[in-house]
Amino acid sequence: MRFTPLLNPSRWRTLQVSSLAVIVALLIVGIVFALSGVNPLTAYWEMLRGTLLDSRGLAEVARRMIPLLLIGAGLTLAFRAQFFNIGAEGQLLFGAMAAGAVALFLPITPLTLPLMFAAGALAGGGLALLAAWLRQRFAVNEILSTLMLNYGAFYLMLYLIGGPWKGKNVRGFMYSDEFAAGAQLPMIPNTLVHYPTLVLAILLAIALQILLTRTTLGFELRVVGENSSAAKYAGLKTSSIVTIMALITGGLAGLAGVGEVAGIHHRLLEPGQISLGYGFTAVIVAWLARGNPGLTLLTAPLMAVILAGGDVLKISLNLPFRIVDVFSGVMLLCLIASEIFITNKLVWSRAVKPTGSGGAS
Amino acid sequence: MKNVLMLAAVAGLVGVGLHSSAQTSVPKSCFVYVGPVGDIGWTFAHNEARLLTEKAIPGLETKFVESVPEAQAMPTIDKLVGDGCKVVFTTSFGFMDQTLEAAKKYPDVIFAHTSGYKRAPNMATYMADFYQIYYLNGMMAAALSKTGKLGYVGAFPIPELKRHISAFALGARAVNPKATVNVKWINAWFDPVKAREAAESLISEGAEALAFTEDTATVVQTAAKKNIPVFSHYNSMYKFGPDVVVSGQLVHWEKIYIDFMKKVVAGGYNTKSLQNVDYWWLLREKAVELGAQNGMPINPKFMARLKAVSITVAGKKTNVYDRVMALNADMSSAKPTFDPYTGPIMDRNGILRVPAGKVASIGDLNSMGWVAPGVLGEIADEPAK
Repeated sequence: MRFTPLLNPSRWRTLQVSSLAVIVALLIVGIVFALSGVNPLTAYWEMLRGTLLDSRGLAEVARRMIPLLLIGAGLTLAFRAQFFNIGAEGQLLFGAMAAGAVALFLPITPLTLPLMFAAGALAGGGLALLAAWLRQRFAVNEILSTLMLNYGAFYLMLYLIGGPWKGKNVRGFMYSDEFAAGAQLPMIPNTLVHYPTLVLAILLAIALQILLTRTTLGFELRVVGENSSAAKYAGLKTSSIVTIMALITGGLAGLAGVGEVAGIHHRLLEPGQISLGYGFTAVIVAWLARGNPGLTLLTAPLMAVILAGGDVLKISLNLPFRIVDVFSGVMLLCLIASEIFITNKLVWSRAVKPTGSGGAS
Repeated sequence: MKNVLMLAAVAGLVGVGLHSSAQTSVPKSCFVYVGPVGDIGWTFAHNEARLLTEKAIPGLETKFVESVPEAQAMPTIDKLVGDGCKVVFTTSFGFMDQTLEAAKKYPDVIFAHTSGYKRAPNMATYMADFYQIYYLNGMMAAALSKTGKLGYVGAFPIPELKRHISAFALGARAVNPKATVNVKWINAWFDPVKAREAAESLISEGAEALAFTEDTATVVQTAAKKNIPVFSHYNSMYKFGPDVVVSGQLVHWEKIYIDFMKKVVAGGYNTKSLQNVDYWWLLREKAVELGAQNGMPINPKFMARLKAVSITVAGKKTNVYDRVMALNADMSSAKPTFDPYTGPIMDRNGILRVPAGKVASIGDLNSMGWVAPGVLGEIADEPAK
């Protein structure tokens, strides 16, 4: 048994293998359910019933989908350009802090909300740009720098809400004051779905897909990602392309942060309560979408169902809260492991007969 | 034979339980927790209390949800109410505004929120507080140290902790007027690594006894390694250091839950009567207990050392052990005469905070920004005036 590389794996194959990986993940998690004493079928049925077949559950899925879609769409672009941004958590928090600054310290006008989004996008983009610059200038691995910057953002936020930005009406607890009504996003009644951010996320995912596949910049970006030396040889300005890409991926994460604080919390609070791991879960969203921003319109809801479904399991079946992490972890693992089956064909014969390159067969 | 009888009795009880649940209408009660039930602190204690309440109220059905992020309190409550919960306990300060919102949204459901200050006709508040016990611990800590240098690991500089640290310092200074309490903040409720670092650095800076407010047993474990007296927090941590845990504070949330649920069942507490229901339960109500573990107020290993330290109270000579036990008995009685926050009390900058003859009000204690003399280290937003 051995692998033989496929030169041009078809889209159909990608879809097949990815779906299979998701099914394998569901089977493995099913075993985990069984081990914790819950019938896997009951668990999956509860998940489905509590999310997609229930109006409140659907609202929860939508709420979780907003940050996942924004961050995920931005990440597909970054991954396409071989820029492994693991720092969306921090970029989200930077966006939240910038939004907080606008909401708390600038006069409230009809322009407050747009300004919050603009500031959030800039702040998130700026943080990603820092990592991009470090890579270009000093060859610092962006996986490490973006990951580390998450901690920087986390502690900066803690400092702000425990110090200079601490609210006057919070009895000494670590919160900022509540945002004025003019700095709060409207919601779909009786839900926590801040629909302006949802619409923005959908539009941006479509826009990025067009940018990637229908524009020169998108083409350049793909070239830089797939073969940076070829890109240089062709005279592409790698640095400015990476700059734009970093601004987009970080900026979208920043927008997600704005949506969370302006839509749901209406104040700044302990950073872990705001980011909630969206930045990491969105990596799965982007990975599942195989670098197509448009496809995150399908993969973000899928992960949102898993997150919201995990809550349902926690409440209805009293499964431990870590079940959600197990779920996303197994999912990511299966997807990464499945990668080899997309680009390679499994050959069952023992004979060594290289195909594709080298010897004639 | 005895076993058979026991079994029969248990079976009978279960039968009665089932029977009464079918007949009376004990409302289904649900708990929203901020942390995992497996922490050794806050959420664990609430969950133990939930189980004890279930036993105490025949026919009571409960449900819980653990590790609920603040953003998710509302959707969680939605789901719980949808599942038939008629009483909902939310056990974190951060759930306050969403609990209030839920109380408006579900006027037929009873809500109770821990440690907050917002109420509604169908939303009560409750808290079991330790400040009296921290005072007693401070006395013992000072008595067990030669220099009077004490250490304190704190989670966040919020009023609750300032109240605890100050009570600890006031108690310490009642024994040794030169005692100091060095505070290190770890800015987390649950972070064993930082708690250990803080405890170790306090010890290396000369602290001879440690107390803490955060949700792990790390400080006790660290103290056990260095053989330094320590005071257990929240649940019994005696088993992590039987030779070093002097005493500590234990919580009994079930006292509040059982009282609350009994009144709900009896009808006194309903969706119209909770506007002014605020439990602030202390030693007197047995919602908290002085002890290294249940029933052991002071570790007997430290009895001789504590008896050897004499102090003078109102002209009479006594020793720290007897004084702590006497104060504990007084504050646990129906009519306590002693309160650690009886004036005159200055803050550490010399500003009068509690006037002579007055006792700090619950409101004062709940919004405390200042700290008592003897507390060392940086304190976030300490009032200048």
